[in-house]
Amino acid sequence: MQNEKMIVCRCEEVTYKELMETKKTYNCSARELKLRTRAGMGYCGGRTCRGMIDKIAMFQDSPKNNKEVSLKYQPPIRPVSFTDLGGVKQ
Amino acid sequence: MNKVIIIGAGPSGLEAAITCREQGLDVLVLDEYMIAGGRLLGQLYEQPDGTWWNGLEESKIRYEKALELGTRFLLNTPVNNIVQTNEHWTVYTDTESFTAKHLLLATGAAETPVPVPGWTLPGVMSVGAAQVMTNVHRVKPGNRGVIIGVNVLSTAIAMELKLAGIEVVAMTLPVNSQVTNESSQPKEVMNSLLHVSHMAPSKFIKLGSRLMKNDFMKNMGVTFFPKTGVKIWDIPIQLRKAVVEIYGDNEVQGVIVATIDSKGDVVGGSEEKIKADFVCIAGGLYPLAELAAVAGCSFYYSEELGGYVPLHSERMETNLDGLYVAGNITGIEGAKVAIAQGKTAGLTIAHHAGIPGLEKDIQTSIESIERARDKAYIQFHPGVKKGKELLLAEWQNRLGE
Repeated sequence: MQNEKMIVCRCEEVTYKELMETKKTYNCSARELKLRTRAGMGYCGGRTCRGMIDKIAMFQDSPKNNKEVSLKYQPPIRPVSFTDLGGVKQ
Repeated sequence: MNKVIIIGAGPSGLEAAITCREQGLDVLVLDEYMIAGGRLLGQLYEQPDGTWWNGLEESKIRYEKALELGTRFLLNTPVNNIVQTNEHWTVYTDTESFTAKHLLLATGAAETPVPVPGWTLPGVMSVGAAQVMTNVHRVKPGNRGVIIGVNVLSTAIAMELKLAGIEVVAMTLPVNSQVTNESSQPKEVMNSLLHVSHMAPSKFIKLGSRLMKNDFMKNMGVTFFPKTGVKIWDIPIQLRKAVVEIYGDNEVQGVIVATIDSKGDVVGGSEEKIKADFVCIAGGLYPLAELAAVAGCSFYYSEELGGYVPLHSERMETNLDGLYVAGNITGIEGAKVAIAQGKTAGLTIAHHAGIPGLEKDIQTSIESIERARDKAYIQFHPGVKKGKELLLAEWQNRLGE
């Protein structure tokens, strides 16, 4: 297996190659990279791959924003079952 | 309504709970793990004075003290959202919500994943997971492991695995990619190891730490770093090799390592297989600040502190009313610093809750954070003090705006 086939976002099964190519084609921000590839939009809410998406987005001279978190966090920050979310009592 | 809610029952959360209870405040502590103690649970190492620091015991002592003082705990309870409304904070869990006037985020740190081809195979875990399995649950993660990532945390955990009778056949670097950067650069790794050389009973590393003060010597050190590695506690640490793939049909069967040059690039044709039944990935720690982000705190990125941290005062206040932070959410440091921060946060909360006469205690407590930092046995980043200074300057700067 080569680096290219390596999975970065496990939930959405987005590869390193796909992310690097998207970055090279559009020279996009972390947020745009997420929206274009769905990396970080899966079940875990980007808990695992967020930092990697950030790093890929910073590849090629993109300046680091040190005053704002680059990828927005949204609740729920932990998975919640539909039963619990809907307040359905078993 | 609760007076104080603390999210995180690690060293800082427990200390804050004890401090708040001693001041007579009503306290509820929530933690997503089933045992109180946080990352303290896994720690086991010999201190410079020859005594052992056993995190499991330390956690128990603090948890029981907090319970005795009447702290309420809800373990196994992840918090998925926090919202500020009027004069109080609402904390949401899967099934219930709680409100409090004062909310402390003591959520600690999480591990940075370092992807290597094949890292999604069963049997690959973070080094912290292997630590928790071994030291907390007393379950061997496997019999023969490889650790990818050479840093303070993974070196300490490798020793713990060894104490548990688990063979660690190699500690080596991850293969170079855009997402591994410093952790795959022999020189960077060597540099960070020099700062923990006092813990490493290896002549090479000890000798190295004295010699390699400048860049030229570091380059030479990496160039001449033995290809067979340096043994620390009998574990071969290899800075001149990297794992290029983790292989196995349905689970880990081994890793393919290759020789790398001093820049981290693979030397073609040098690949060899090492058999293993588990692989640990050690990418270091970053502050777990999701809830602070959801709440709308101001942030600051600091390499020295391990990533994005919520802006906060010396007294552990954030820029949002009634929201405080303590422990590794404010930067990656040891448990003793976290405990001192927890105490400061507890006193600050008591002060804001209207308990008079705490000013002197708060000042003393702030000084004790500084002392704990200076005396720290393990420094996760050599520049942590500078990182803290920059953060405080940024806090004062933005406060003025």
